[in-house]
Amino acid sequence: MVNVSGVDLSVRIGKLELPYPTFMGSGCYGSGEEFAPFVDLARIGAVVLKSVTRLPRLGNPTPRLVHTPAGMLNAIGLQNPGIDWYLEHEVAKFASRPCAVVGSVAGFSVDDYAYVGERLAACDEIHALEVNISCPNVASEGETFACDPKLTAKVVRAVRATTDKTVIVKLSPNVTDIASIACEAEAAGADALAVINTVRGMAIDVDRWSPRLGNVTGGLSGAAIRPIAVLAVYEVSRAVKIPIVGQGGIETTSDALEFFLAGASAISIGTANFTDPRIPVRIAEELVLYLQERKLRSLAQIVGKANVGFSNPYQYEGDEG
Amino acid sequence: MATIATSAAIHHALVLDRQELAPGVVLLGFDAPELVRVTRPGQFVMAVPPGGERAATALGIYEASGNRASVMFFVVGKRTAELASLGAGDYITLAGPLGNGFTIDASVRSAAIVAGGVGIASVLLPAQALVRGGARVRLFYGARSAALLVDRERFASDGCEVLVSTDDASMGHAGYVTELLAQTADPPDMILACGPTPMLRAVARLSQEMNVPAQLSLEETFGCGVGGCWGCVVPILRTSEQAPSFPPADRNGSDVVYARVCREGPVFWAHELRW
Repeated sequence: MVNVSGVDLSVRIGKLELPYPTFMGSGCYGSGEEFAPFVDLARIGAVVLKSVTRLPRLGNPTPRLVHTPAGMLNAIGLQNPGIDWYLEHEVAKFASRPCAVVGSVAGFSVDDYAYVGERLAACDEIHALEVNISCPNVASEGETFACDPKLTAKVVRAVRATTDKTVIVKLSPNVTDIASIACEAEAAGADALAVINTVRGMAIDVDRWSPRLGNVTGGLSGAAIRPIAVLAVYEVSRAVKIPIVGQGGIETTSDALEFFLAGASAISIGTANFTDPRIPVRIAEELVLYLQERKLRSLAQIVGKANVGFSNPYQYEGDEG
Repeated sequence: MATIATSAAIHHALVLDRQELAPGVVLLGFDAPELVRVTRPGQFVMAVPPGGERAATALGIYEASGNRASVMFFVVGKRTAELASLGAGDYITLAGPLGNGFTIDASVRSAAIVAGGVGIASVLLPAQALVRGGARVRLFYGARSAALLVDRERFASDGCEVLVSTDDASMGHAGYVTELLAQTADPPDMILACGPTPMLRAVARLSQEMNVPAQLSLEETFGCGVGGCWGCVVPILRTSEQAPSFPPADRNGSDVVYARVCREGPVFWAHELRW
């Protein structure tokens, strides 16, 4: 879609066509309704809903949040009503959203993902699926499907088989080689990749000699993880052809541009909405100005433009070093 | 409890006045007639630290009258330090009013308001509303020391009886404010409380012993402050009127669910909490 400015910010992620390249991160934005008093949802791309599992989940014990330098640790633990309740009581409300609605699937087995994914994707109110294989706060010691290339492939293949709607796979940064996991997800049929989920972290109360989160460990978000996320997008974009939804600490237009230049086709905003819910709309407006100043007509023209490979002047031939 | 606000908006408000009521205790008054018009006692705002890089922080709405609303807060970290740097002529950005607020029931004849420390910042509006409704209102107000018993004259001039306690015995009862309430020979028919969690737990116990219903305004670390992130939860009975559409929490059909302090609260009936 070309807007009145003559600049095209639209993006296509699988079959999902969005007028703005902005996703609202899963678990940060409720179902969108919570933020509607503060921002015009028609001026964002998509809301990614909170993850749903097969069975209801109480979620983690409190405290679930700790503010940390330039970021926030959370360990919510996928509190959700389970897919039966969700379909019966929640999904119909999403029909009125003036933006795209992306359902988020979480699970504890390949079968869980396929079961919940199929039922969620069957809803008209849900326009695409995000497969959350990277929540760091539920499995033992942060080990998730996204840490294992074979399990990643199995989950993605299973969900892919249940729907023709767009499937976005959310990857974890808590791995040695995110690009290899991304390749597995692509080969298994993912339409796009969300890069990255939160980075595992911990904070300790030095007066009480105890962890500050009820779950002991949590996922770090916010500006603190931005360089980690930019690198992950950069690496993944060199390895796959499918579009990337870049995320991790985006607060400003300049932050967003880093992700586009690293290779993301769209961005997702999470924690920054807690500072100011108008940030996603402001970023879209300022992207138009940025492109106009450079006589560019579409956002797509800058995607991946900073990707020049890797350079290591200290690299030696052979293995003696 | 009162219903969830739908009248919240983002306000970019001119700061009218700034007072330091005690070392590290700041009162900011600002021009926000729309906020004043829709605010109910016990609601809060999410105030954006002016540095622009830190998450918004929840502050109780202290005063709301005419064109002017105010917030009172203790400087406890970087976000409140940034907010404390604001002065008259600056602008403050805030979203609100948020949360459910206290239930101000016209049938209440005698109310006890229990405030601990900065909890005082959320109880002026309910105190005023109860006085207006003709109730006898006693403020039981505790702080670490006399200097931190801020603005107590205001409550007296607005029609409350003020009883104070300090941890260091510098004024009033030496000890906890809940001990003062426990000693009263003339029990109230409603208790409203805001303060640190240990104080609220003590109020909940007292409410049970005295057989007087208590409304507790809880404090929790907030993420979004508007119900979107489920970070600020508290366990409550699923049958509570504040969890009307909550599913069973787990496959065993447990009767306890996690409700959001920012959305279903911040005010909860003491007897419905399972903390």
